Amino acid sequence: MSQLTNTGSRRRVEPASSTITASHGEILVSARGLQKSFNDRMILKNVDFDMLAGDITVIIGKSGSGKSTLLRALAGLTDPDAGRIVFDGKVVFEDEERTDDWRDVESHVGMVFQTYTLWPHMDVLANLTLAPRKRLGLSAAEAKERAEVALAEVGMSQHLRSRPSQLSGGERQRVAIARALMMRPKLLLCDEITSALDPPVAAEVLEVLRRLKQEEGIAVALVTHDMAFASKAADRVVFFHEGEIAVNATPDEAFNRSTNPELKKFVDAVRF
Amino acid sequence: MMVKSYDFDWNVVTSNFPRLLEGLGVTIQITLIVIVLSMILAVPVALMRMSNIDIVRWVAQGYIELFRCTPLLVQLFWVYYALPTLTGITIPGFISAVIALTANLTAFMAEALRSGFQAVPVEQIEAGKMLRLSSWQRVRYIIIPQALRQQLPVILSLNISLFKDTALVSTIAVADLMFTANKIASESYRALEILTTAALMYFVIAFPVSLILSRIERNMMNQGPSGTAGPNLLSRMVPGLKVKAAA
Repeated sequence: MSQLTNTGSRRRVEPASSTITASHGEILVSARGLQKSFNDRMILKNVDFDMLAGDITVIIGKSGSGKSTLLRALAGLTDPDAGRIVFDGKVVFEDEERTDDWRDVESHVGMVFQTYTLWPHMDVLANLTLAPRKRLGLSAAEAKERAEVALAEVGMSQHLRSRPSQLSGGERQRVAIARALMMRPKLLLCDEITSALDPPVAAEVLEVLRRLKQEEGIAVALVTHDMAFASKAADRVVFFHEGEIAVNATPDEAFNRSTNPELKKFVDAVRF
Repeated sequence: MMVKSYDFDWNVVTSNFPRLLEGLGVTIQITLIVIVLSMILAVPVALMRMSNIDIVRWVAQGYIELFRCTPLLVQLFWVYYALPTLTGITIPGFISAVIALTANLTAFMAEALRSGFQAVPVEQIEAGKMLRLSSWQRVRYIIIPQALRQQLPVILSLNISLFKDTALVSTIAVADLMFTANKIASESYRALEILTTAALMYFVIAFPVSLILSRIERNMMNQGPSGTAGPNLLSRMVPGLKVKAAA
C-alpha cells in the first residue's frame, strides 16, 4: 500500500517500500502454472518459477523459448492465459487477470529492456525524474537528489545533463538501470540488456547489477547469453526450453553437473 | 510567340496597398486560428484512429477519409451554403471558412500525428508503463513530443499549404487577400499588377516558413543515428547548392 507523507504544503506518495516484507533469502516472487500462447503457439507451458529476495536469477535459453514472456508476465506487461503469480505473499495475478494487490506492489517491479529505451527528447535528468515527479509526487529538487544518487550507483554521475544521443550503448543501459532504480524497485527485470553491447561494455553493465544486488538487496532476473556472468554472479540459473523450465539450479549444478542435453548443447553454442 | 507590349502601372498597387495588407491580415488571422484549432483537435482524432475499439476507430477513419477525399472547395461551399439549409442557422463567411478549413486540416494533421505516434518505439512506451506512468502521462510526455518532433516537417508543410489554400475562402465572400486582390483588380482593370503583388505577398510569408522547414529537416538528418549528414531539401531542390551542415 502506498504511503502519503506531508512535506510542507506538498503531499506526496512515497514508494511503498515498507510493504515488502520478504527479506534476503525469502521468496519474493512465486509463479505457478503460467501459460501463454501467441497465435496458437504455446510460449509458456505450465511454468513454475520462484525468486528469492536479493538473488540474481539468470534466465537462459534459445530465442522464442519463453524467457522474455516470463519477464513480461512478471512485469505486468503481458497477462498470462492461465496461472498464478504471487509477489511478496500477495496474489497479484489469478484467473487471467491482475488483482487489486498488483496496484500496491507494481511500483516495486522495474524493468530494463534490450533496446535503449531512454526517451531521446529528454536529457538524462528528465528521463530519471519524470516518473518520480508525476507518479510519486516528488518535487523537482527531491527528484533531482534521487537522480544523483541513482546515477552515482551506476557510475554515471557526470552525465546528468547529457542527451541519450550523446551516450554510448553501455552508458545508455546504465542510465536505463538508474531510471528503473528511481522507483526503488525490489525486483529488477532485465531483458537481454547487454545483447547489443561489446563484451567489455556488457561486463561493466552486468557489474552494476551485481553491485545493486550486494549493496541494495535488489533481486535481479536477467535474461542474458553471458555465461561468464551467469556462472560468476548468479544465485540461480534457469534454462528455458520450448516454453518449459528444463533446468533450475545453482550455476555450478547447471554448468558443471547438469545432464540435460539441451542445456549442454545451448551452453556449447553460446560459448563458442 | 508574340509578346504583347504592356504598360505597367504600379501606382494602382501603392494606392491600394493598405487594402491588400488588410486582406493579408484576414488571411493570416484565418490561418493562425485554423492551425491552433487543428493542432488541438488532431490529437484526439489521431488517438481515436488508433483505438482498439472498432466503432471509435471507424468514426475517426471515416471522418479523415471524408475530408481527405473531397475537394476543399466543396467542403467550403458545403459549410457555407448547405449546412445552413440543414440547420436553419446562417453561418457567416469567416466562421464557415474557419470551420471548413479546420475540419480539413485536422484530418490531414491527425494522419500525420498518427504516423508519428506509431513511429515511437513500443519499448519506450513500455518503459513508461514500467515506471507506472498513466496512459495519459505516456501520451503527454513520451509520445506527443516525439511524434511532433518527427512529424514537424509534415506539419509545417501542411500549414504552408493551408496558408495558400485560404485563398479559396474568397469564393464565399470572405475579405481575405485573394478576395481583396480580385476586387481591386476588377475595379482597376490592373489584374497583372495586383495579382502579381498578391502572389508576392503570399510568397513573402510562405517562403521563410519553407526555409525553416528545410532547416529543421536538415537538423533532423544531421541528428540521425548514424550521425552522418544526409542531403537536405535545399540542396536537393537546387542542384549544385552546398549547404553547410549544422554544427
